[in-house]
Amino acid sequence: MHLDLHWPDYLIISLYFAFVIGVGWLVKRQVKTSNDYLLSGRSIPLWITSLAFISANLGAQEVIGMSASGAKYGLMTSHFYWIGAVPAMVFLGLMMMPFYYGSRARSVPEYLRLRFDEKTRSLNAMTFAAMTVFSSGISLYVLARLLELILGWDFDLSVLTAAAIVAAYIFTGGLTSAVYNEVLQFFLIVLGIAPVVAIGLYEIGGWDGITTKLAPVMTSTWAHTGSAEANPMGITTWGLMAGSLCSSFGYWCTDFLVVQRAMISRSLNESQRTPIVAAIPKMLMPIIVIVPGLIAMALPYFIQNFSLPTANDGSPDYNMALPSLIAHYYPTGLLGVGLTALLASFMSGMAGNVTAFNSVWTYDIYQPYFKKNAPDSHYLRVGKMTTVVGIAASVGVAYMAANFNNINDLLQVVFSFVNAPLFATFLLGMFWKRTTGHGAFAGLLAGTTAAALVHGFTISEGKGGWLTASPLEITSGIAQAYHIAWVAFVANLVVTWLVSLATKPLPEDSLRGLVHGLWTDGVLPKAAAEVWWKRPALLALVVMVAAVILNLIFW
Amino acid sequence: MEKLNDLRFIIGLFFALVGAMLVVLAFALSYDIAFGKTMNLYAGLAMLGFGGLMLWLAKRD
Repeated sequence: MHLDLHWPDYLIISLYFAFVIGVGWLVKRQVKTSNDYLLSGRSIPLWITSLAFISANLGAQEVIGMSASGAKYGLMTSHFYWIGAVPAMVFLGLMMMPFYYGSRARSVPEYLRLRFDEKTRSLNAMTFAAMTVFSSGISLYVLARLLELILGWDFDLSVLTAAAIVAAYIFTGGLTSAVYNEVLQFFLIVLGIAPVVAIGLYEIGGWDGITTKLAPVMTSTWAHTGSAEANPMGITTWGLMAGSLCSSFGYWCTDFLVVQRAMISRSLNESQRTPIVAAIPKMLMPIIVIVPGLIAMALPYFIQNFSLPTANDGSPDYNMALPSLIAHYYPTGLLGVGLTALLASFMSGMAGNVTAFNSVWTYDIYQPYFKKNAPDSHYLRVGKMTTVVGIAASVGVAYMAANFNNINDLLQVVFSFVNAPLFATFLLGMFWKRTTGHGAFAGLLAGTTAAALVHGFTISEGKGGWLTASPLEITSGIAQAYHIAWVAFVANLVVTWLVSLATKPLPEDSLRGLVHGLWTDGVLPKAAAEVWWKRPALLALVVMVAAVILNLIFW
Repeated sequence: MEKLNDLRFIIGLFFALVGAMLVVLAFALSYDIAFGKTMNLYAGLAMLGFGGLMLWLAKRD
C-alpha cells in the first residue's frame, strides 16, 4: 500500500504542526514555577481535563491497535471499553480521586510514599518511568514505520521530526501545553477518522452489512464467550471479566499518565468528575476505533478493489486496517486530515508519556535522591531537561523496538506486568488501614513476579513461554495478557494481605486523608454540587447504566 | 492576546481553516476515486461548522 500526498495534504499537516508548536509558545508565558510546568498549577477547567484524560490514552495502541483488534477479534474488542475502561474510570472518580486529590500528592508514586513508605514509592516510580519511556518509544517507532510503509518517508527523518515537534511544545509549555494539544488532537482524531466510518458504513449498507457478511462471533460481545474455543480471542466469560477488570482498573486507576489529567483539576469536585465525564466519549470511542476494523473485514464482500495487506507470515496485517481504509477512501485534502489524525494520535500518546515521565522523574526520583530542598527554579530547569532526556530515550527505544504483529497485544502484556498488580496495592492501601509499607512492597514484587511467571509458562502468537520447553498454548495475545493480569492481581492481593498482617501496623494519625474512614476532619471530603450533573455519584450512575445498555444491545 | 490563550479559539481557528480548505478543494480538484468530492465537501462543512461553534463559544465568554 502506498499513498501519494499532494500539496494540500502537506499544507494541512504543516498547519497542524504549526498549531501544536504555537500552543506551546502561547502557554509558555504562564509557566513560572515547577508546579506550573509539571502540574499546570492545578488550574485546568473540567472540559479540558476530561478530554485530555482520554486523549492521553488515545495513542498508537488505541487508534491503530484497537482497529487492528476490531478486525482480528471483532466487537469483543469493545470489552476494553464497556467492562474495562468505563467502570474503571467511574471507580477512579468516585472512590480514588478523593485520596489522590485530597492528599495533595503531586503524583501517584508520591501518594504511595504518603500512604506507605519511600521504598514503595521508589519501586513504583522506577517501573513507571521505564514504562512511559517504553510506551513513548513504541509510539514513535510505529509512527515512523507507518510513514515509511505508506508514504515512503525516511524512517530516521520521521522519528527525529516527530520527536522534535513533541519536544518543542512540551519543552516550552510543559504539561499545560501537552494537555491543550491533547484536546486539539482528540477532536482531530475524531473528526479525521469519522468520515472513514461514515462512508464505510454507507457503502456496505450500514451495521446490517457487517452483521450479514461477518460471522456472528465478530459482531457480538458476550454471546460466544461460553467457551474459549468459540471466539477468536480464545477466552471464557470468567477470563474476560477477571482479566479485563484487573488490567483496566490497573491502568485507569493507577497509571499516572491518565490520573495526572484529573489531578490538575481546579477542585476536588472537578477532579472526581474528570474521569466520569471522560467515560461518556470513551464508551462511544469503539465507533471511531473498532468499527473501522470491522468495516475493513466486511468491505471485500462488497467491492473488488479493497483488501487488507498481508504481513510477513502471510496472515492479514490487521495493523493496516485503518490506514488501508484511509488510503482507499480519502481524496487529496481529506487524506491530509486523516494522516494528520494518525500523526496526532501518535504524538498525543508520546506527549502524555513524556509529561508523566517528567513529573515522576523530577518529583519522585530526582528530588528525593539527587537534590532535596533546592530552589523551585532548579526543579523547573530539571523538568525541562527531563523533557529532552525523556524524548531522547524514546528515540532510543524506537530504534530498539522489534517487529510485532499486533502492537496492542504487546502493550497489554507490558501493562499487565506493571499495572495489574499495582491496583491491588491501591485497593488495599485506600480501603484497609491495616495495609503496611512492607506488605505493599512485597505485594508489588509478588504481583510482578507472578505476571512474569504466567508469561514464561504460557505462549501465544509466539510470545512468552520462555521458562519451559512445553508452554501452555493460549489462543490470542489478549487472552494471555488477561490471564497475566488477574493472576498478578490475586498474587499481589494475597501477599500484601499476609505480609501486612505479619508486620507492624502504621499509626492511624499518619494515615488521615489517605485511607477510607480516616478522613482529615473525620468526614469524607465531598465537593459542593448544586445541580445534579455536578454530583459525581449521580453522574457515575448515569454512565454505568449507559454502559450496561451498550453491553445488552451488542450482547 | 488573551483570546489566543483560550483553547476554544485555538481549536476553532484550526478547524475553521482546515474545513474551509476542504470545501474549496471539493470544488477545485478533479477526482478519480469514488465519493472524493462528496467526502471533501461534507467533511469540510462539518469541520467548518465545528470550528465556527468553538470560535463562537470563545467569543461569547
